[in-house]
Amino acid sequence: MRHVPQPESRRGPRRPAASHGAPPIHKPHWKWLIVSYFFLGGLSGGSYVVATVAELFGHTDDRDTVRIGRYLALLALVPCPVLLILDLGRPERFLNMLRVVKLRSPMSLGTWGLVAYGGVAALSAAAQAGVDGLLGGPARGLRSAPRRLIGALGAPLGFFIGGYTGVLLGATAVPIWAKNARLLGPLFLSSALAVSCAAISLVLALLPGRREDALARLRRAETAASACELAAIAAIHLNSGSIGRPLASGRLGRLRLAGSVGLGILCPLALHALGSALGLPRRLVAVVASLASLVGGFTLKYAVVMAGHASADDPAATFEYAGGQPPAPVR
Amino acid sequence: MPGLGTRLGRGGATTTLMELANSDCIVVMGSNMAENHPVGFRFVMKAKTRGATIIHVDPRFSRTSAMADYFVPIRAGSDLVFLGALVSYVLEREAYFKEYVLAYTNAAAIVSDEFEDTEDLDGLFSGFDPGRGTYTTDSWQYAGSESGEGAPEHHGQDAQSMGHRQGGSRPNDLSTDPTLQHPRCVFQILKRHYRRYTPEMVEEACGVPKEQFLRIAETIVDNSGRERTTAFAYAVAWTQHTTGTQIISCCAILQLLLGNIGRPGGGIMALRGHATIQGSTDIPTLYNLLPGYLPMPSVQDGHRDLASYLEGVVTPAGGWFNAPKYMVSLLKAWYGEGAQPANDFGFQYLPKLAGDFSFQPMLLAMKDGRMRGLFCMGQNPAVGAQNARLVRQGLARLDWLVVRDIFETETAAFWKDAPEVLDGSIAPSEIGTEVFLLPAAVTPEKDGSYTNTMRLVQYHDKAVDPPGDARSEAHFVYHLGRRLRELYADSTLDRDRPIQALTWEYPTHGPLAEPDVEAILAEINGWTVGDRRPVRSYQDLRDDGSTACGCWIYSGIRPEPGRNRARERQAGPSASEGAYLGWGYSWPNNVRVLYNRASADPEGRPWSERKRYVWWSDDEQRWTGLDTPDFPPTKAPGYQPAADATGLDGHSGAQPFLMLAEGLGRLFVPKGLKDGPLPTHYEPFESPVSNPLYGQQVNPAAIGHARADNAYHAVADARYPHVLTTYRLTEHHTAGAMSRWVPWLAELQPEGFAEIGTELAASLGIDNGDYVVISTARGAIETRALVTDRIAPLTVGGRRLHQVGMPWHYGYSGLARGAVANDLTTLVEDPDSFIHEAKALTCALRPGRLFDDVTPMRPLSRARERGRGGEG
Amino acid sequence: MTPGPKRLGFLTDATLCIGCKACEVACKQWNQLPMDGLELTANSYDNTKDLGASTWRHVAFVERFDGARPSFDQPPFQSGWLMLSDVCKHCVRAGCMEACPTGAIIRTEFDTVVIQQDVCNGCGYCVPACPFGVPDLSMFDGKAHKCTLCYDRLTDGLEPACAKSCPTDSIQFGEVPRLMERARNRIEELRRLGVSGARIYGDDELGGTGGIGGLNAFFVLTDEPEVYNLPANPKLPQDETLPGLLSTLGAAVLLGVGLIFSFRKR
Repeated sequence: MRHVPQPESRRGPRRPAASHGAPPIHKPHWKWLIVSYFFLGGLSGGSYVVATVAELFGHTDDRDTVRIGRYLALLALVPCPVLLILDLGRPERFLNMLRVVKLRSPMSLGTWGLVAYGGVAALSAAAQAGVDGLLGGPARGLRSAPRRLIGALGAPLGFFIGGYTGVLLGATAVPIWAKNARLLGPLFLSSALAVSCAAISLVLALLPGRREDALARLRRAETAASACELAAIAAIHLNSGSIGRPLASGRLGRLRLAGSVGLGILCPLALHALGSALGLPRRLVAVVASLASLVGGFTLKYAVVMAGHASADDPAATFEYAGGQPPAPVR
Repeated sequence: MPGLGTRLGRGGATTTLMELANSDCIVVMGSNMAENHPVGFRFVMKAKTRGATIIHVDPRFSRTSAMADYFVPIRAGSDLVFLGALVSYVLEREAYFKEYVLAYTNAAAIVSDEFEDTEDLDGLFSGFDPGRGTYTTDSWQYAGSESGEGAPEHHGQDAQSMGHRQGGSRPNDLSTDPTLQHPRCVFQILKRHYRRYTPEMVEEACGVPKEQFLRIAETIVDNSGRERTTAFAYAVAWTQHTTGTQIISCCAILQLLLGNIGRPGGGIMALRGHATIQGSTDIPTLYNLLPGYLPMPSVQDGHRDLASYLEGVVTPAGGWFNAPKYMVSLLKAWYGEGAQPANDFGFQYLPKLAGDFSFQPMLLAMKDGRMRGLFCMGQNPAVGAQNARLVRQGLARLDWLVVRDIFETETAAFWKDAPEVLDGSIAPSEIGTEVFLLPAAVTPEKDGSYTNTMRLVQYHDKAVDPPGDARSEAHFVYHLGRRLRELYADSTLDRDRPIQALTWEYPTHGPLAEPDVEAILAEINGWTVGDRRPVRSYQDLRDDGSTACGCWIYSGIRPEPGRNRARERQAGPSASEGAYLGWGYSWPNNVRVLYNRASADPEGRPWSERKRYVWWSDDEQRWTGLDTPDFPPTKAPGYQPAADATGLDGHSGAQPFLMLAEGLGRLFVPKGLKDGPLPTHYEPFESPVSNPLYGQQVNPAAIGHARADNAYHAVADARYPHVLTTYRLTEHHTAGAMSRWVPWLAELQPEGFAEIGTELAASLGIDNGDYVVISTARGAIETRALVTDRIAPLTVGGRRLHQVGMPWHYGYSGLARGAVANDLTTLVEDPDSFIHEAKALTCALRPGRLFDDVTPMRPLSRARERGRGGEG
Repeated sequence: MTPGPKRLGFLTDATLCIGCKACEVACKQWNQLPMDGLELTANSYDNTKDLGASTWRHVAFVERFDGARPSFDQPPFQSGWLMLSDVCKHCVRAGCMEACPTGAIIRTEFDTVVIQQDVCNGCGYCVPACPFGVPDLSMFDGKAHKCTLCYDRLTDGLEPACAKSCPTDSIQFGEVPRLMERARNRIEELRRLGVSGARIYGDDELGGTGGIGGLNAFFVLTDEPEVYNLPANPKLPQDETLPGLLSTLGAAVLLGVGLIFSFRKR
């Protein structure tokens, strides 16, 4: 087909001369329901993974870690479909999510992933309950279920649940998300694992008895995950450039810094590192550090989601992300 | 429209919207065509795509300007300087179309030596009586016919506009100078009259830089002549001035000089103000007109009987020679058996004018408590009339008010929602008016027709029944008439005889007894009384009572039973863009481009091959071409009338302007206009500047109503320094009843606003979207400011002048609301058309609101539909 | 549904637009859409602001005088005051459709993109997934809505309501390859008349870029797309799905190793 070249004057992205009534793209409607789902889903998947790793590679005194992890995975999961269904414009039609499988839609993958993971998490929790003698009657047979195998098979799903939501955000036109599409998954996954470790630690610390070694391992695991999380935050910051404005400055920037980084990552590290030197009781340190980590994890999800709103509402961000030199035209 | 009627013969657009596609240049002035005639503008766009130059002259840059090749910002109210300067330019540079002017206009006619021009009398013509504010027109007549041959002296309010009653002479009786040198020939008078309308004067008076004016003039001249044609498109921004008729008239002069009238792609496209307003002057609801532009009989003109009435209408030559046929046929249609030769065909039954009962005096009579009742049918004067506050106060003095409309308009709701009620000035308990609100049917709920801006009648068929109690106009009027006739059936009083004598039988159908509109159309078309057979054209009408016809210019619209030409919809093909002869019915006789005889030279050959339109066929010995010839079909170009020939036989084969006695386009109008034979620049009644051309500031014959509740501003009144103009938007329609209640239209322009230039806004501290107060001596309103670069200040008379504009659609009812712009305007009339001056007045402007706390009228505002963002 | 042999769409030529909004009203009337609200934006003559759940044709107005007065001598076809009827682009590869997890959004036999209202459950994922900000959730029925290119009219052989009502044929409807040819001719003609900024928005160089593969509803503009509030070089968002999943997988491996080490140590 005949090609008519574009005018010479085209340059890179630039601001429009006149202001417009509305930004060029639409922001999603997601707020507290979805932020909560991101947090709880990550907590669930992360707990499952931690429990599996503890079960397969840990020590006998990690038994409680496994137990808490399995139960926490199911408990945190139960509200998730409720949150998602309530968020729908037509909640009564939630089953329509299962009409199709679309491999390029993270939400479709996530729906099916949740279904599969939900089954596995429930199975593992039931098996755990069987072992713990909590089940009566015919369910008692579950205690002989192949727990390790199920856990091993379910762990990838746990990873998926913990990280796919970042990919879901990235596969949109929202500039700050789309620019960081390859970093949001790792960010959410590391955060999920960190808060899972913290949550399990919190329960262990509140239970009677001393579980120094188990807590120590969880602390190490949390530190590793937090280090990854910090790296991801830094990478996003560097990668975003001016598109990263909403997270780098303003209210959300402060939230990210004080909440996600400060409270969520640095505070627990500091407490653990300095706790004994300051002579604080271990249990207290563990509880406070865990709570800080949990709050930080929640603020991270919140900040990222709300930053998306702000980014979508900023025309300059869209024009920068979706501007620039065009690719070579296809004949 | 008197402007076109008196100069060309018929009061209507001379061309069609589609024909504009053939123009080489289109000047849109006094109009915002793209916004108010968007579908018609399609053809301007077609012309543009074919290479035509589009010029827009307007106080502000509108959606029309965005498509123009040249945009000329002009001071509202100074159009006549601009147009007069164009005339002067054409004359001085001899750029007029010589053969056309000599053959087809009265340029060579010699005028009475008693005539004195505005150049002699500092802005007045001879014959002005300052005591009465009127002219005696004896001195304006052609030499030798000062006494107005065959036409008695007229004063008072007669229709005179639409081509008849012009006095003048048959062509053979005129003394002429074909060399155009005689000092009192029309050509020389014209030249002298406009001598001081120079490009420099345009710059001073209009605020248009000289170079811009010259470029426009050159462009127009370059696109006129044998090979090229220019069209002018104007609308109410020319009409709604105290000099409105003369502005339009000046354009007619220019187009005659350039030879654009009657030519394809030429002419004057009068863009009318709403969908069937042409129809409402053709078959009029005007107080001073009968159907087909026959004047209403008038006591002041001495119309004692049919004969004396006809004396004032008949012209010796031209179309109005046959006025008796049209009038008698009309009387037969209305009074049937009650119209006989013995009783003057019922002439006595017609009401006679005994004063000025045009719209504005009517409103004042209402305000002064001299009116008992009022019918408002599809009219919303509480918003749409000038000095609307006065009008609403007037409504409160009626005994009864009937509003027939599709919503509860501001007029129907005045007694509870008007600003005067809400601010406590009038209490509803003090209002004694009994208000009847009758629901009306809308277009698809009734049969009927529209006669649009190009004289095209298009019939529409009913598609659905109206809801509930809603009824069509035909139903209302028919049954009202029927009940009145029943009421008066047994009366023996003389004054009730007209109602008793009316023919009022139309078949009805359906459970609602809806009158058969086609039967009404058949009556409009006309028939022979003996056998009720339809007439085929107005040429079949007789003055002996053997024919009846409701409107002679529509004769032929229903030439046989079952054939309603207004319903025809043949979309093509057509040899000429403008002449889809099988689509609807265009009066007269389905002629699309009027005066199209002028598209051929005196020998009957097209002026050029490129611009051929209608021409004489030697083979067929008749006129032929792309349109119905607006000429007797078999009158050869070389025909010369005998000395005593009358009617159309009194015109030669080379005189295109049939409805004028001379058969020639009138550069100079001896009779028919109240304020002068030549258009003259007078300032608007309220102006920030003195008239730069004459000592006479305003139109001396303009009809003013100076009184305490209708006060005018003084010239250059420092309290009201800005020019105010009002206009319309695409999204809304007139006074808003048809648009401000429709959600899809209301949301497009949801609230009233005023457009204010950035410089003026900055100097007053007004930000975009702020509330502002605009005030005049008639009232003050608050509205929202739309600050824009599109309305820029001008330099006029050496000083910087700001213009402010407001759409006038808004009122206090409906979904889309705003202050009533007409609370600011004033009652003053053009003397020929009685039209108000809405386009140029003066005002004051300040930021802020009318009251410190809650304002009487809060605009309605609702949250926008957004995504589901509410759950956070 | 695989696209049939016909590929139908719009050429919206901004240079012919007189801003009359007949398209907005015809669309609302045909589809019986609710009004958005009554709010004077004071943003030129644009009070409906944006495409959304109940506005499927939106006329944008951009005043470009930049503080100066309008000029006398104007470039041909729109200058100073730009007007454009914005609409769903019916992308060749559509972000909304790829995002939709219920399969409500489909491609019709006319190569247009339609949201099936009996399937949509209002998850709202299509809303941020559109690079042009077209679909939105309705506050009345909770579902996502956008222009259907009058699918119901097309199946009866009629043209879309907006195209039918446009008085200046700024909105032209037909087969996309033919419309594109017409657009190219128009660009050449405009450039000849001196409109140097004339360009097509919706081919693979501008507007239909980045995996989108072209727009079935495309435009003729006279200035940069950003001036019309359109992104110049949008991307198909789902091209990031696989890379995102892969990098998350990599992170999972890394984190998994880290976890294992954390638990193995005594």
